[in-house]
Amino acid sequence: MSKQYDAIIIGAGIIGAPIAYELTRMGYKTLSVDKLADAGEGSTAGSCAIVRAHYSTEDGVAMAYEGFKYWLDWENYLDHVEDEKGLAKYMNTGSLLIKSQGHKWRDVQKHYDAVGVQYEEWDNDKILKEIPVLDLHEFWPVKRPEDPTFFDEPSKMLEGGIFCPEGGYVNDPTLSTHNVMRAAEAKGAEFQFNAEVAKIRSADGKVQGITLTDGTEIDAPVVVNCAGPHSFKINQLAEGVWEGCNIKTKALRHEVMYCPAPEGYDYLNDGYHQSDGDIGCYVRPEVGNLYLIGSEDPDCDPQEWVDPDEFYAGKGGHGRDNQLTDEQWKAQCYRLGRRVPTLQVPNQPNGVVDLYDCSDDWIPVYDKSDLGGFYMAIGTSGNQYKNAPVVGRMMAELIDACEKGLDHDAEPFQYKMKYTGRMVDVGFYSRRREINYNSSFSVNG
Amino acid sequence: MKIYVCVKHVPDSAATITVVDAKAIDTGITFLVNPYDEHALTEAAMIAGQTDGAEVIAVCVGPPSAANTLRSALAMGSDRGILVSTEGETAGLPDSMATARALAAVITADGQPDLILTGKEGIDTEGMQTMFRLAQQLDMPAATNVTALELAGDHVLATCEKEPGTREVLQLTRPCVLAAGKGLNTPKYPTFPDIVKARKKTINTITWEQLDMVPAAGGIEIEHLEPADEARRPKALEGDAASVAAELVRILREEAKVL
Repeated sequence: MSKQYDAIIIGAGIIGAPIAYELTRMGYKTLSVDKLADAGEGSTAGSCAIVRAHYSTEDGVAMAYEGFKYWLDWENYLDHVEDEKGLAKYMNTGSLLIKSQGHKWRDVQKHYDAVGVQYEEWDNDKILKEIPVLDLHEFWPVKRPEDPTFFDEPSKMLEGGIFCPEGGYVNDPTLSTHNVMRAAEAKGAEFQFNAEVAKIRSADGKVQGITLTDGTEIDAPVVVNCAGPHSFKINQLAEGVWEGCNIKTKALRHEVMYCPAPEGYDYLNDGYHQSDGDIGCYVRPEVGNLYLIGSEDPDCDPQEWVDPDEFYAGKGGHGRDNQLTDEQWKAQCYRLGRRVPTLQVPNQPNGVVDLYDCSDDWIPVYDKSDLGGFYMAIGTSGNQYKNAPVVGRMMAELIDACEKGLDHDAEPFQYKMKYTGRMVDVGFYSRRREINYNSSFSVNG
Repeated sequence: MKIYVCVKHVPDSAATITVVDAKAIDTGITFLVNPYDEHALTEAAMIAGQTDGAEVIAVCVGPPSAANTLRSALAMGSDRGILVSTEGETAGLPDSMATARALAAVITADGQPDLILTGKEGIDTEGMQTMFRLAQQLDMPAATNVTALELAGDHVLATCEKEPGTREVLQLTRPCVLAAGKGLNTPKYPTFPDIVKARKKTINTITWEQLDMVPAAGGIEIEHLEPADEARRPKALEGDAASVAAELVRILREEAKVL
């Protein structure tokens, strides 16, 4: 006889674990399954875990600001659960958005005003006082070092930046997911690892459960796809789900670099998270006084859409597998080297290569599907880590409302955020939406 | 003063190595400066910075793509580079005998060395032969695993790490060949302004045929190459903390033999 649950969550990453936690708190008997060996070991482990408020849409800003409140109140959120591995720490460095042609920063500022995000405008003198290692020339447009004009001398100066005192990063994204798992388990949730989904069973337009690759059948009237970069594969297993999505997801390869901070500069303790569209990079401190250097997906950089199974198996070859490339190492480090001229760039690349579960417009799909009982929290596009606790609660309430009869496609669910009290029209994240051209179409969301 | 630094173009140690036709590795991976050579480059740049009129010349034997590795050497403070291109060499990459002869020929043709620095080994072949063969070709003294050096008149005082727990200070006549160990310094990596400067420095490419050298009488060829089995075999230790610790010590002592 197969095992029975109220809800199965596919994926125990930073999106899936909070959904399991919140559904369990609402009384659902949940089982989370993950093909890996523990919580948060998939693409969550490669997340930069940055917590910042700037997004290209007001709803995006609002959700990020709500998420920030959860990270500040992490122990409370976890209901003071004990995790034998300890608790992840939120590091509040503050967050500087450089005013540049690479960001629609005026829109961001407008959204900050609308949502009530605290911020200060810093001119170049103030930025240099706080971060003396910077060169505030404008280097726009973003280029690659293979382009000879990359090395041209700049002539214009930047216009300052917008500083949010609330912002930073979580020091260990895998651990934070483990924390949520332990909190969920304390409420009765179950997690099964090394469990890969082979089938999603359905009948009469309703999901019935899943079958694992070892043949184990698990039944539930609710199945939630939180499979990260594998989300499109899971959708393709579920009858009519892939076809019913106007917004699709696919896996995008991304490299993040670690480069030592300049001698004499204590970036780890004195530095800020910084988003710099002028050079197409974001940075935050990392243990070892390193700069963690992410890419903001400038147009000149190649996009490598890959098969996640091949990628994680190290297949696909140069620029398509899970190895850093010298070209991208130089692109990201040299770009930051323009901004931080005393940055020393080692010869050997050092960093992380992982995948984004990327949607067509880089905005997530938080929605039901065309298969009854099958839900999706996918397309997180490298920018939803910070929102995960909010998404957990929002998805749980959406699922509960739909299971109780709400026609979410006709009357989109309205979610009231716990801390800011703002309403979120969850229809914004619909699978059936047209591509949102207000999006940044980048990791900035 | 001319300081020559011999630089090897090696695979990134973090790259996934794939063997092709049981003879060579797939070269579609990142290649870079041999890490031990970074210490040699840093030391050379430091000595040159303290010596009026000193010039640092980075020399590499390798394929045309090794120009990138030389460019990294220039960004780390070398003044110019010489690439002995192995392009078109049908016998594959040269062995340490041929490499040493090529380095000796190109250095002799270029100028009068006061000092030749290398890394103590290449992390790819780990042969530890080339620098000794180079010294022999040039009739110079040599010392390896150098962790400190001091120029003293016509001599060099070189501190060398020997067997664990011992180190010796050697006095060598100049010119000499010194192979850098990890303890010599902390590599000074280039900043963006260094990288910009390096773009304007010269790399002179010389073909194998242009070298004035007598081929070695013997040689080494790879007969067979296969990947080493580095599969991880995780094993969970169970029980209370004291018994887990005791078992761990036993494994480290009796199985891993590292204690």
